[in-house]
Amino acid sequence: MLPRKFTTTRPSDLIYAVTLLALLTLGAPGASAGVSGPVVRLFPTTVLEDIRETGQVAEDMENNLQEVITRLDMQEQLYTESLCQGADGDQGCDRIAKQLGATYLEMLDIMSDRLPEMERAVNNTRNSLESRLRQELGQRTTPTTLQNALLGESGSAKEAERPALRGRSGVRLSDRFKQYYNLVSTNREGASKSLAVVASDIYLDMDEAAHLIAATQEEIGRAALMEQLNQSFGMITPEMAAVVGGVKEILFGESMAENAIAAPPYAIGETDFVSPLAM
Amino acid sequence: MSRLNYLLVALLSTVTLGACTTAQPDHCAVNLRGNLGTAMNTAETKLASGCEYHFNSYFNSLLTIAEANPDTDNKMLFSDHLMRVNDMGVISRRQAEGLYNRYFNIKFVSLQGDYNTCSQTCPVRSQVMSDMQAELHDKELGLMRASADAASFYRADTLLKETDLVLEATCRACSAGKTQ
Repeated sequence: MLPRKFTTTRPSDLIYAVTLLALLTLGAPGASAGVSGPVVRLFPTTVLEDIRETGQVAEDMENNLQEVITRLDMQEQLYTESLCQGADGDQGCDRIAKQLGATYLEMLDIMSDRLPEMERAVNNTRNSLESRLRQELGQRTTPTTLQNALLGESGSAKEAERPALRGRSGVRLSDRFKQYYNLVSTNREGASKSLAVVASDIYLDMDEAAHLIAATQEEIGRAALMEQLNQSFGMITPEMAAVVGGVKEILFGESMAENAIAAPPYAIGETDFVSPLAM
Repeated sequence: MSRLNYLLVALLSTVTLGACTTAQPDHCAVNLRGNLGTAMNTAETKLASGCEYHFNSYFNSLLTIAEANPDTDNKMLFSDHLMRVNDMGVISRRQAEGLYNRYFNIKFVSLQGDYNTCSQTCPVRSQVMSDMQAELHDKELGLMRASADAASFYRADTLLKETDLVLEATCRACSAGKTQ
């Protein structure tokens, strides 16, 4: 389970903020939902519009950062291939390091510009889902009906029809939101058993992402200051590499995480015994 | 009669009386074993002859027998057994349903209620999840080990995880609504 709370005390915490943001925002359902269970309206048009807009904002951020991150990669590769690691006092290496640091600052600037809009979009999605969850699952559902909705009336949904729980997906953030949008826009009037899980999943992700974006914004200023100081000495810090890695992970899904081992498929045979005592 | 003889007589009397009191066999004590259906019949015979208070120990023994002889028919045998015991008046219909569903159904008896989720489940969410976790252990025994129905057990396991996720989100939303 991912950590729910995040506090920032050091400049290097930006790395964790970015990485956690990646972990949290990339968790998503992976398949379409089934069609049984009571109808619960978790995804009205307003929620769908919020999800669509968040995906659009994420795409804009990706487009803005794509070029600078590519440049960072090339500079880092040049630095490594020139055997600059530990080569103190080499003028050529110092120059590459300063260029790399300047590009890094450029990336931080872009993030600093774009994150407020991302924060607003994420907050909107979180708030609208929060309201629907409270009304539909919190106030209009009993524990018994909630369980029935999750299980489906037939209790025989196949594993392949069920959305996966939270986890890394290895896809672009904007594509992830497109998946969210497509998933809920095609099934929003039915399949509440799966959509309850999807809505909960997105809501928890958005809630934590909102906190992490705020924390990241706070840390960007500090990280920028540190890098401006580093520019005086021409250093490449491990933190810089980690932040760049974290941003790439958020936006482009370049994750090294291995996929979890799949659970056995669920299938109930046609001759299943049904007890008169069963709920 | 010497003093030693008195002591011998007293000791002999004590031993004899003690033997009389412990020689009485426990009518309800029975070592259920072998075929599950036969063991259920034995248990039911005992329950019908004044051993109602041994129902729980009989039931646990029957689960142990089923675990040693896993079969998909076992859940049906338990359902029939619980209904007969209910008909005999040993346990109520609600108890029979509770036991059957706890061990042999995917659904959780720990997640039941007639009031809305915000007011009934959220205030005791951690307890509900803890109860469901304990119930999953019983389902592992009933579904997987006794009934050889791994698929249903995995579905129950998934249901528990989904419930955890949905309750976390729903209860957080309920809580946010209160503070607004």
